Amino acid sequence: MSNHWRWQYWPLRTKLLLLTVSISTLGILLVCTSLVVVENRTYEAQLESELGVIADILTEQSAAALLFEDSQQVKTILSSLNQIETIEQVCVYNVSGDVMSALNGTGYEPCPSLDVDPAVGFVGDYYRLLEPVTLDGDIVGQFYLMSRLEVLREHIWTFIVISFSVGVGILVLLIWVASRLQRLISEPIVELSNAADRISNEHDYSIRVPVYGKDELGILGSAFNEMIGTIQQQNQKILQSKNDLERTVAERTSELSLANRELEAFSFSVSHDLRQPLRAVEGFGQALEEDCRDQLDDTGLDYLARIRAATVRMGGLIDGMLVLSRVSRQAMEVERVDLSAMLAEILEELQDTTDTVPSEVTIQPDMQVVGDERMLRIAFQNLLENAWKYTSKNEKRAIDVSACEEHNSITIALKDNGVGFDMKYVDKLFVAFNRLHTPAQFSGTGLGLATVDRVVRRHFGRVFAESPIDSGACFYVELPRPERGAESGLQQQATR
Amino acid sequence: MAKGECSILVVEDNPDDQILTMRALRKASSHSPIILQEDGQAALGFLFGTESSKRSPQVDTLGVILLDLKLPKVSGLEVLRRIRSSPQTDWLPVVMMTSSDEPNELREAYRLGANSFVTKQIDYSKFSEQMCLLARYWLTVNQVPMVGSSRSF
Repeated sequence: MSNHWRWQYWPLRTKLLLLTVSISTLGILLVCTSLVVVENRTYEAQLESELGVIADILTEQSAAALLFEDSQQVKTILSSLNQIETIEQVCVYNVSGDVMSALNGTGYEPCPSLDVDPAVGFVGDYYRLLEPVTLDGDIVGQFYLMSRLEVLREHIWTFIVISFSVGVGILVLLIWVASRLQRLISEPIVELSNAADRISNEHDYSIRVPVYGKDELGILGSAFNEMIGTIQQQNQKILQSKNDLERTVAERTSELSLANRELEAFSFSVSHDLRQPLRAVEGFGQALEEDCRDQLDDTGLDYLARIRAATVRMGGLIDGMLVLSRVSRQAMEVERVDLSAMLAEILEELQDTTDTVPSEVTIQPDMQVVGDERMLRIAFQNLLENAWKYTSKNEKRAIDVSACEEHNSITIALKDNGVGFDMKYVDKLFVAFNRLHTPAQFSGTGLGLATVDRVVRRHFGRVFAESPIDSGACFYVELPRPERGAESGLQQQATR
Repeated sequence: MAKGECSILVVEDNPDDQILTMRALRKASSHSPIILQEDGQAALGFLFGTESSKRSPQVDTLGVILLDLKLPKVSGLEVLRRIRSSPQTDWLPVVMMTSSDEPNELREAYRLGANSFVTKQIDYSKFSEQMCLLARYWLTVNQVPMVGSSRSF
């Protein structure tokens, strides 16, 4: 609260008024003082000259009387001065310095001795004058006059009172005028400040300040208006582009959801419409084989078997495509997944298949990841099946699954001792329909690793592989670590 | 009525699938009558009658309906909904047959009251096995409400 009494918190108009008032007061004070001084001087000079003239006349008149030491005559001459009330004392001395005659006013005081020079001029409340009386160039005596200054003092006091009254009057007038005139300067600034305040509080950039004149204040006002105008324009542009962006996003979203719906319809179509004729081919092939076996020779039967095998392969392809499309668009349900247990289950199913290769599979226990269990199962099933498939021509199969936890990710490595792949084509490994082996070497659709890639990507992870010459292949799946952050991030993605 | 005399209603629009399904079903259960309807509308006419014809008396002998999901005119799911919304037929076991295995379709079918959902296998021997299992279960193991004269609605 006390802060607001400080100079910097004072309103501009108060400061301006105070400045004007103090300068005016100082000026008026100086003018009055100098006037009083000058008036005093002038009056003193006038008094001095008046008394000088009187003294001159009296000395002239009394010169002869002095010469003859006619004190009666001198007294008569001096008595004419009785009419002048301010004259306190008049003394006339003869040539030897004795008082010839004296005229005393109200206060009786003996004439000063001439042995010591009496103080002459304005001293205290008196004006003293000592003049020699001469006759034909010879000094015949001395004339001494002492006058009271009360009239002068009264006059000066009256002058002081009048001049200061006038000064105060002028000051009041000046303050009134200044308080009007300061608005010329303070008002535009106050308006500017108020406008700036309102803009910063209400964020209303349509506010403008009125511009007065072409001076610096006018320029300031115009510049302020221009600045706010620019901000307003920029705001509008930002708003416009935000709206445009939102509209574009909405359009793209609707396009995307349309595309998604089309894709869904397409995949449904694929799964239904492509399967049906395929099933017919396969079904009638088998019916032919069963019902008309007698009418076909070995070549015919071989062809028929090939037709049926091809349809089964194509069925596998369609299934693979469906799985791939499903893992791409299916909503994710994120939870903590016990990967070790899942891998053990997948492995159990694999070991049931007819394969006589002696296998040694090690799975690191208690591997935990966060993700959609169904999708992760599809991915790791593909990876394990791959490892199984490409080691099926070995004498002994060795598969090792281990995890390596880092700061914010977990990398699962699946290592096998199978045929591996040519590192030259590592880029094609995860691209759909790209196969690095012929169907005669190893069967497959070319969709398995693409599906793995898609699943891992949807978990914000990555999958990569390496195959050192003659030592199998190693696939790495890097997933965000099961942390609260990653879980919620995936959850957000899943609920979208 | 003995269980063996229950009939099967097959609703299937595709002629190839008709032949293949009938072939597989006959092999599985040679003595059960198999009724074929070629689309959803025909199936509804068979089950509920139309403006020109009455509902088929054969409905009372049905043991199971094998209903294809994707049918022209009236979809399999719509037929299922109609079956479930009529007291004359709401007890009938309905097995949805489909070429696809779309999770959405699956859920919707069960929501509408399907008793079973089967994805037709491309491999015909597997398909035949499916048909064999279906016929055996629904016609010999499964129990339906009393049929014939005692079914009075």
